[in-house]
Amino acid sequence: MSLIAPQLILILGVIVFMSSVLQHLVKKNRTAISLYALQSGAIAILLTGAGDFSTIAIIAIVVTAAVKVILAPYFLARLVRRNQLRFSSTTYLSSPETLLVLALIVALSFSHYFAPLANLSPESPTLVLLSLASFFISLFLLVNKKGALSQMLGILSVENSIVAFALFTGLEQSPALELGITFDILVWVAIATVFISMLYRQFGSLDVTLMKNLSDTTL
Amino acid sequence: MTTLLILLSTPLLAALLSVIARKSLVLDIVAILTTGLELGAALVLAQRASIATQTYNGAFSIDAFGAIVICTVAIIGFFTALYSVGYLREEVSKGIIGFRRVREYFVLVHLFLFAMFFAVVTTAPILLWIAVEATTLATAFLVSFYNKRSAMEAAWKYLIINSVGLLLGFLGTLLYFTAFRDAGGAEFVTWDMLRASAGAIDPLVAKIGFVMVLIGYGTKIGLAPMHTWKPDAYSKAPTPVVALFSGALLNVALLALLRFKGVTDLALHSNFTQYLLIGFGLFTILVAGLIIFTQWNYKRLLAYSSIEHAGIMVLGFGFGGVGTFAALLHMIYHSLAKSSLFFCAGNIFLKYSSTKIENVRGLLTTLPTTTILFFTAFLAVVGLPPFGIFMTELYIIIAGFALHPYVAAAAVFGLALVFVGFLRHVTGLAYGDAPSEVAPGESNYLTVVPSLTLLIILILLGLYVPEEIRTLLHAAASSI
Repeated sequence: MSLIAPQLILILGVIVFMSSVLQHLVKKNRTAISLYALQSGAIAILLTGAGDFSTIAIIAIVVTAAVKVILAPYFLARLVRRNQLRFSSTTYLSSPETLLVLALIVALSFSHYFAPLANLSPESPTLVLLSLASFFISLFLLVNKKGALSQMLGILSVENSIVAFALFTGLEQSPALELGITFDILVWVAIATVFISMLYRQFGSLDVTLMKNLSDTTL
Repeated sequence: MTTLLILLSTPLLAALLSVIARKSLVLDIVAILTTGLELGAALVLAQRASIATQTYNGAFSIDAFGAIVICTVAIIGFFTALYSVGYLREEVSKGIIGFRRVREYFVLVHLFLFAMFFAVVTTAPILLWIAVEATTLATAFLVSFYNKRSAMEAAWKYLIINSVGLLLGFLGTLLYFTAFRDAGGAEFVTWDMLRASAGAIDPLVAKIGFVMVLIGYGTKIGLAPMHTWKPDAYSKAPTPVVALFSGALLNVALLALLRFKGVTDLALHSNFTQYLLIGFGLFTILVAGLIIFTQWNYKRLLAYSSIEHAGIMVLGFGFGGVGTFAALLHMIYHSLAKSSLFFCAGNIFLKYSSTKIENVRGLLTTLPTTTILFFTAFLAVVGLPPFGIFMTELYIIIAGFALHPYVAAAAVFGLALVFVGFLRHVTGLAYGDAPSEVAPGESNYLTVVPSLTLLIILILLGLYVPEEIRTLLHAAASSI
């Protein structure tokens, strides 16, 4: 992180966190995808701060940026355009209730339960906890939103939060392993996008509450 | 190194050959020959690992525990390939699927096998995570194989639940690397390095890390309450794939979890992991025992049986000592018995074209051989003597009574629930009048031989455990 000014690191950390929060509140799918791209962009800039400019490290940064900032949002935007999925799915909780839960998640993340994790980075404990809060908020997105696309964005946002956490705590992996993880994500995005298209064809909607074909008691 | 290369490169080569194949016969031959080769390589590697842990260039390693898991994956892989040939042939002849789907099936199965082998032999926890995630990606399209609404639903749940679980596992894995952060970091963290530096991990961080890893790999294992994907995926995926899920993937995920348990125990010097494993194991058994009563689908029934057995194994590992040894042996027995049971379930599905229990009647008259195999495997799975599972469950319970008698008693109650629930559903299948449109007779010999052979191996291993396997089991038990 030494190559990036502390103020910029803080701003990027806040972007990662706020993108996760805003994912809960936006009404349009395009906005949600843009937020993910913005979050990924912040992660890509943070990756350059590690100070490793070997060939493999540069490739890892470029590939990560290409996959997360360009390819994944492109796949998702095309999916939205093709299926005219303009508006984001509804939530189980109302907006005020959602905000209340988000506040509780942030409070929990900054509570003494996760103090040992904050201690992993004595110089920026707030950023560590902010990325942890972003992680939990993204997990909450998965259970609060009723749409398959939102679930997909939630998982990608969870992954971004983990990368931010790793960067803030100095636990980032070697560039070769980063490449492996990014490749994994690329395949995941491709598969999930295909699945979302197939789900839309089968159900005529991406609302996961319509998926009621499987049950332990249905005959 | 050559044998390991054969083990890892063969499934990749098989996937490639399957991609370019233009005839079903080629796909079948490639599947049987390559999985046979993998089985041979796995047995050679296991034999070597029974003498000492085999390490290759620091990147790959096979210890006793890894050898046991590799062998179960290879054995189930081989018999699944054999069974798949017969099973898919029937589906093609019925017009359910065409050549392209068969090709897609074999490509994905070979990639699935590669990911499992790689997960076991890699020395890096992060590569293990990538490989386990790859198993999800390779099999997602296998769960949605039949392209029906319900299959799509099951596949989506499978993808999302497992991905979330594994992301938690990823975060947990990273937390273990804090041991190297203060020392300037490490390019390639291996299990040996983690174990050697376990003392440098903050105990609270290790606890948080293990909880996340437990949830992550526990999702893949199917521990309650993260088990919800399992009945759905098991009921919708092609039956041979489900045999691989239950007989192979479960063991790989258990290996991942127990590797972290070993590191955490070294970091904490306490019973933290033991209590968590016991808690999750018992809860899983009880949940499976209660839900099994309400089942209406025999593949879901078997899925809950797999969940129950995952709980039994985790409970055994939690109890430790003789419980660990018994849980390892249970892993082998369960792989053999459950795969055999799923193959029989596949035969029933081929004959009745339904997975609903109420639609299956008169099995004894329509599929006499499969029925005998099914009931034999059923008796083995529910843990009746003289099958090996009876002994392993008994040892796990004895280990439990020595440490936590109330937990052991609750586990016995859970096992009894599963037995009664299972028996209640299964007996109805055999008797009654078969529907008039169901013609008697087995589909083909390839759908019977794998199940029969696995049961023979299971019975023989129940009567006598060869010295090499015992050595592996003892070495593996002492390393967990």
